Amino acid sequence: MDELKMEKLKIQLQQLHYEAREFVEKIPPMQLYGAIGVVILTVLFFLIVRLFKRRSSNTVVLTGLSGSGKTVLFYQLRDGSSHQGTVTSMEPNEGTFVLHSETTKKGKVKPVHIVDVPGHSRLRPKLDEFLPQAAGIVFVVDAVEFLPNVRAASEYLYDILTKATVVKRKVPLLLLCNKVDKVTAHTKDFIRKLLEKEIDKLRTSRTALSSADISNEYSLGVPGEAFAFHQCLNKISIAETSGSTGDIPQLEQFIRQHVKA
Amino acid sequence: MLEQLLIFTRGGLILWTCKELGNALRGSPIDTLIRSCLLEERSGAASYNYDAPGASYTLKWTFHNELGLVFVAVYQRILHLLYVDELLSMVKQEFSEIYDPKRTSYDDFDDIFQQLKKEAEARAEEMKKSKQVGKPVNNNPARKQGNVQNGNMDGGNKKKSGGESGNDSGDGDKFKGRPLENGNLNNNHIGKGEAPTVVKNNGKENGVSNTGAFDVNKLQKLRSKPGKKTETVVNKVSKTEPKKITKKNRVWDDSPKEAKLDFTDPVSENGEQHISVVATDQGESMMDKEEIVSSDSESEEEDAAKDNKVDAKKKGGWFSSMFQSIAGKANLEKSDLEPALKALKDRLMTKNVAEEIAEKLCESVAASLEGKKLASFTRVSSTVQAAMEDALIRILTPRRSIDILRDVHAAKEQGKPYVVVFVGVNGVGKSTNLAKVAYWLLQHNVSVMMAACDTFRSGAVEQLRTHARRLQIPIFEKGYEKDPAIVAKEAIQEASRNGSDVVLVDTAGRMQDNEPLMRALSKLIYVNSPDLVLFVGEALVGNDAVDQLSKFNQKLGDLSPSPNPRLIDGILLTKFDTIDDKVGAALSMVYISGAPVMFVGCGQSYTDLKKLNVKSIVKTLLK
Repeated sequence: MDELKMEKLKIQLQQLHYEAREFVEKIPPMQLYGAIGVVILTVLFFLIVRLFKRRSSNTVVLTGLSGSGKTVLFYQLRDGSSHQGTVTSMEPNEGTFVLHSETTKKGKVKPVHIVDVPGHSRLRPKLDEFLPQAAGIVFVVDAVEFLPNVRAASEYLYDILTKATVVKRKVPLLLLCNKVDKVTAHTKDFIRKLLEKEIDKLRTSRTALSSADISNEYSLGVPGEAFAFHQCLNKISIAETSGSTGDIPQLEQFIRQHVKA
Repeated sequence: MLEQLLIFTRGGLILWTCKELGNALRGSPIDTLIRSCLLEERSGAASYNYDAPGASYTLKWTFHNELGLVFVAVYQRILHLLYVDELLSMVKQEFSEIYDPKRTSYDDFDDIFQQLKKEAEARAEEMKKSKQVGKPVNNNPARKQGNVQNGNMDGGNKKKSGGESGNDSGDGDKFKGRPLENGNLNNNHIGKGEAPTVVKNNGKENGVSNTGAFDVNKLQKLRSKPGKKTETVVNKVSKTEPKKITKKNRVWDDSPKEAKLDFTDPVSENGEQHISVVATDQGESMMDKEEIVSSDSESEEEDAAKDNKVDAKKKGGWFSSMFQSIAGKANLEKSDLEPALKALKDRLMTKNVAEEIAEKLCESVAASLEGKKLASFTRVSSTVQAAMEDALIRILTPRRSIDILRDVHAAKEQGKPYVVVFVGVNGVGKSTNLAKVAYWLLQHNVSVMMAACDTFRSGAVEQLRTHARRLQIPIFEKGYEKDPAIVAKEAIQEASRNGSDVVLVDTAGRMQDNEPLMRALSKLIYVNSPDLVLFVGEALVGNDAVDQLSKFNQKLGDLSPSPNPRLIDGILLTKFDTIDDKVGAALSMVYISGAPVMFVGCGQSYTDLKKLNVKSIVKTLLK
């Protein structure tokens, strides 16, 4: 049965082929070349458009330790509310949307693609999927529970800052101290200083140990000097927000700075 | 009573909580559940116990894989709520009907939940009653059987004879109202073992790279590379003092080098000087060498894998499989996954993964895939493999930092020595690898001291002394027949006196079942509270790896006098050069203990200490 069907199909295909050939031969060659030229041009045009689009990506990655408030910020940006609260994420939250504060604005606003990558260390490899297209990285730090997590946070930050995809493209990074509405929150200068100090220590121990897994492609800062964020090739700024109260203008400003509306 | 019931997305947004229950939970049981259970591929368990000061909860959960929803119920541990599983699956069914990814608040679900809860409670009551009545009087044996033993039958019976059960409990109208559901619920309730769990893998659709390559040659290359170096050094030394070396080291056929760990020097007292020259010149420890993954051979094998895949595709029903792969298959069912999972499990087991663990992993992968849609242009087997690869990478990726040097520096700043205790069963290479770690630390300008706390096996102290002399580091010893805990304590005191940064404590090897010795070990750890408890295990073990590690952890926990016992923090995998591609022990150990592999011992010389390369291990496991 199958063979018979196949034979039939073959014959039909051959017939079609002949018909097509006859049809083509009927058309004058000039017209044919013209048509082909048009097709090629349109394809090229679309390719160029695509390339261009990719270059000016609109992805902003939210990252940081587990429990620093990334998911809340994500929903604050999207809906302007944190709903009923959040729990530890098991998967990245992703969305392309117009920022909530800009929905009332008139005129066309370019939507932003925001990714909230879970902070749990087992899920960190996910970050590598999003970094190559990132137009900006937001590293969220819990300003209240900062001291117990300072080492873990600085290690994570160090890993991000030494990734080739970040350094080569000079992706700007925002160090975001979250939860500043709490009374016990640390100031951003304190956090910056402590992180710089910790990264300085990491620099010495990490360059001593180069492992197969945690491969740091680039070294940070100026050798022989204490590390400071302004030494980095990519621009690093620092800001304060409060995810739970919805006080996030500095974050929105950062996003709009790097993803043009 | 139920404390709380939450519905949230995998992304972490809480969609609905029961406001009426509304009790504030103490601590953060949900976050703990996710972090320590759901994200660790420990889905075999049906429930999770959470302990915090003033609170002990039991959590149960279920997933809706297709919609990416998680349902968690929290209740007090002391209450054995029978209806929770049932309630969860009812809630899951009802909620998935009204779920819309765009909506974020579901206030209207409150009423539905109230009804569901009442039903579930009533059913639980009825179960209890029927049990109580059925036992002493035994007037309704058929029903009891149906209830307790056979969920399926029960559901079916109820459907037909809802009236009968209704008469008994007075809740009959409800049961009639939802006859179909009852069938479902009973199944779920009794079949608790089905484990409705597991973290989903956001599978990358790259089935090809899984079958990639782990060079067996790489091991050999790495083995022989430092060998050459040391050889030249040895030659140099032997030129200067050719008479001293009398005993020839054995040369293994595949690694032509003069092994350096055999230092049974006949003139050991005089030999010290020349020995030290050798020790300082052995070259970089392999911990510090970038692993050179020979890219050409890898790509070659990848190509080969691709070819294989194409072949496999051709062999199968060409037309139908092609069509299916283009159209994408409807939701995956367990029966679709089974053959692929079985093949995967067998493959893992041939790689020396303990059977128990291969089984658990496959179950958790199956649970994460069930109900998902198969993407177009993929096959079931490649989807399963991608999910497994993700799971393996997640397991093997260290949860905490394994940067020991950093910890050493941190301890140094606090002005106290960093204490590492090596534990393990007999003959796995504790002392040998202790020396390797010491050598590696020395290269990073960390002052090391050894503590010979193996006061049990004769010759152990001498063995360590030899290493210490070779490496020119101080050793603290108190001979034999002493309490190792006291020796270790004195050693640490000595170290803080003479300013050593690290104390490496060697302990006697012990079988995991030997209670007196395990008690001694737990005492040693309790008394000295080391910064790192390193379990030394050989890569050669198969199923025993699970037993060793779990018993060690358990005994350390049980026999410790303190309420918060120290468990194993890290693993040192030894004899890694001997196992070819049977790297399963690494996975077994990490899975069972949750501790990362911090070092890998892969040879006979001081430099043969490496880090675990997660990617190559995963590749090898799935090859």
